[in-house]
Amino acid sequence: MLFLSTMSPVAALRFRVPTGLRALRLFLGGWTAAVFVFLYAPIVVLVAYSFNASRLNVLWQGFTLEWYRRVWENAPLLRAAQNSLVIACISTVLSVVLGTVGAWLLHRYQFRGTRGIQTLAAIPMVMPEILMGISLLIFFAAAGLRLGFSTVIIGHVTFSFPFVLVAVQARLRGLDPALEEAALDLGATPARAFWLVIVPCLRPAIVAGALMAFSLSWDELIVTFFTTSAASATLPIRVFGMAKVGLNPMLNALSAMFVVATAVIVLFSAYVRKLSR
Amino acid sequence: MDTLATPAATSLAAAPAIDRRTPRWRAWLLLTPMIVWLVAFVVAPTAILFVYSFCERDELGRVVFSFTLENYQRVSDPIYLRIFLRSIGYAGLTTAICVVVGYPVAYCIGRASEVWRQRLLLLVMVPFWTSFLIRTYAWITILKQEGLLNGALQAMALVASPLDLLYTPFAVVIGLVYAYLPFMMLPIYGSVEKLDGSLIEAAHDLGAGPLRAFSSVIIPLTMPGIAAGTLLVFVPAIGMFAITDLLGGARVPLIGNVIQNQFMQARDWPFGAALGMVFMGLFAVSYWLLQLRGGASDELHG
Amino acid sequence: MKLLLRFFAALLAAAVTFAARAANELNLFGWSEYVPQAVIDGFTEETGIKVNFETYASNEELISKLVAGGGNYDLIQPSDYAAEAMIRQNLLAPLDLKRLHNLKNIDPEFLHRPHDPDGRFTVPYMSGTVGIVVNTGKVKTPIKGYRDVFQPAFKDRIVVLNDNREIVSWALDTLGLPINTITPENLAKVRPVIAEWVKLVKVFDSDSPKTALLNGDVDLGVVWSGEAAILWHQDKRFQYVIPAEGAHQFLDLLAIPATAKNKDAAHDFIDYILRPEVSKLISDAFPYTNPNREAHRLLSTEALDNPASYPHGDGGKLESFRDIGKAAADIDRLMTDLKSAR
Repeated sequence: MLFLSTMSPVAALRFRVPTGLRALRLFLGGWTAAVFVFLYAPIVVLVAYSFNASRLNVLWQGFTLEWYRRVWENAPLLRAAQNSLVIACISTVLSVVLGTVGAWLLHRYQFRGTRGIQTLAAIPMVMPEILMGISLLIFFAAAGLRLGFSTVIIGHVTFSFPFVLVAVQARLRGLDPALEEAALDLGATPARAFWLVIVPCLRPAIVAGALMAFSLSWDELIVTFFTTSAASATLPIRVFGMAKVGLNPMLNALSAMFVVATAVIVLFSAYVRKLSR
Repeated sequence: MDTLATPAATSLAAAPAIDRRTPRWRAWLLLTPMIVWLVAFVVAPTAILFVYSFCERDELGRVVFSFTLENYQRVSDPIYLRIFLRSIGYAGLTTAICVVVGYPVAYCIGRASEVWRQRLLLLVMVPFWTSFLIRTYAWITILKQEGLLNGALQAMALVASPLDLLYTPFAVVIGLVYAYLPFMMLPIYGSVEKLDGSLIEAAHDLGAGPLRAFSSVIIPLTMPGIAAGTLLVFVPAIGMFAITDLLGGARVPLIGNVIQNQFMQARDWPFGAALGMVFMGLFAVSYWLLQLRGGASDELHG
Repeated sequence: MKLLLRFFAALLAAAVTFAARAANELNLFGWSEYVPQAVIDGFTEETGIKVNFETYASNEELISKLVAGGGNYDLIQPSDYAAEAMIRQNLLAPLDLKRLHNLKNIDPEFLHRPHDPDGRFTVPYMSGTVGIVVNTGKVKTPIKGYRDVFQPAFKDRIVVLNDNREIVSWALDTLGLPINTITPENLAKVRPVIAEWVKLVKVFDSDSPKTALLNGDVDLGVVWSGEAAILWHQDKRFQYVIPAEGAHQFLDLLAIPATAKNKDAAHDFIDYILRPEVSKLISDAFPYTNPNREAHRLLSTEALDNPASYPHGDGGKLESFRDIGKAAADIDRLMTDLKSAR
């Protein structure tokens, strides 16, 4: 069972598992499985339809690998996917840096105007995308900034980093202040204490925030539309345009490939690490 | 331990040495990038919209810089209040369902072994690295009248005729929960992961049944995660409209639709800006007040 | 060291050539999927001009981005009423008609439309109508107009465009009122009509109404002719009807913004599009009504038979939308009110 493996063998021997607890754990495990079914149901459908012979992606009309072939021939689509990937990666890194450092500073120190900064940082979460998109465009135009990758990334970081901030702050709430004190007492500078002691403790929250930031950036359409140029067009912009003609199963194929690739990396990397030990 | 802590409020608990908490110039320096970012890309654009909200539009749809309160007067129309409340309703329902559905999963992942933890976490996110529109169309395929769900239900003889699932509030809620579940699960995972196993052991040793241990020990300890998840789901969900358009047939306008329309079909930017200002202003005020309350209760229990 | 210097020199040379080539580029801002990739590639192959194709999904997005000061575009694709607004705001550059040799290929019926009577700023690209599509496999009664569609018998089986102005114009048509006269009085008259209609509609969708029809979730609707054409192509039972009370005919155009940097390339592109064989490629990808007479000769009989692409002429009067200025906000308020009253 997954859960017992968190404890050492000795503790496991010592620890009697009451039947009620086992029932609870079975229930939790079953619930988790059901939720994963819920999460993957449309993905299974999506992958299945990537083999659909019908171009319109609505009715099933036979099996084919045509769309997978066509994806590789569609240069604009691939370029859009590449752009999305690059933009998502860069904006995730920036969001994580901005959000983590910001969360730590606001937690550790008592700034005048903390509440104000906190509220300002939360505004992008609530701002409707059309407002953010148009206002950023006007701002960029007034500032003389040319639209392109940098403006898109700026937009993405702006609406992503609050998510990282909130996630890291939640973790910081229960953080033992003695940790940093101990590090400082042992002679570390505040910067080293932060990097070597606090950040590892925050790692799960940082990972959680990074995952959210990446997903937000990957799927974003409206803000991107207003801040992009032709060269930096992302996948959602391409995809939404295709809806008018009928969503091509090519897009299913592209998504399916991405899902499979990521799943393989997820499972594989664990083995690679095991091998290298 | 304060269990009613408000989301993301600055923790004032357990300040060991007050002077160490006062920021020196180095701390301010490190905070500067974030402040600059906020000023440049949040405050400035919002200020632009603020100015627009007092402007008018001319016959051709251009913004005319003349001061008027007409836009804000229009916002007070009861139509928009009703739409706003409905949006909050959907967001609230979505959040509630996400908490109930997502907490057990986040708990399992957080308590799993190191290897499995990372795998499960990524496997949770992988569905969201497909394209939003394709995912939603897959839901349409599942929920439509001649779709997979209806087909399965009929095959199992649970229903006689196909259920009307798509283009209903039911489909919208499913879509919303699906979209926001990870944003609830991830922060909760962050809290669960650092749970000290010995605390739970202690609870059991003291005779608490599994449910009691859960409700009296585990949930309160992970409350910051739940609070963060609530914030990260509820707030963005209020402005969400794409899912209601696709899965709900765009039958009922939400506040996101209305604001979008002002910049698109209606070409009335000043009014859209006014709606946005009110919307964002209400949020900012609520959030600010929540922080005050959170700070006070921290001092009480800290 | 010498190798390093040579390497950097090569890099510099490459960068310079890229910069030099960058001078002859065309920034096209158009509807996604409205300009097939084959057409763009063909143009680049022939002229060596690189085309940067940026896309939008609605006229309003086009206008919003243009007005907010974004990007320098050399060529855009507005619809007629959007072009009208832009001409009045001096956002479009006059065309050098002498450079457009292939303009004679266009059917004169599509020239000299009210939005640009002298044809000085715009060139017709594709035309279409908004009409009724019926799944004759499910609907057995004859459907001739809007009134036939919005019957209680079809409650929750109807799809319509999620376009407030369209819906109002249909209601105006049924009452015999002019569709471009959006006054508070007229809006008050159509209000009860639309209030009834809204209760019968299952889906509002401007992006892909064909999905609901193909899925069998709805049986009939009022949609773009291009959608109906795709449906007919998929299944001949989907018939298209121009409503007897009157219908909206739209004309999508090519135009050059006043701020365009590369007007020469823009003119070349327009002239290239006007060639019959290129126009045919667009029609193949997009079954709207092709205004290019010469291209018609190259189209297949099936394409020409498509009742949605090339309607047979029976049905009501066809009218274009004119720019209605501030009244657009009134329409939005009316429809928001009626929709949220459910």
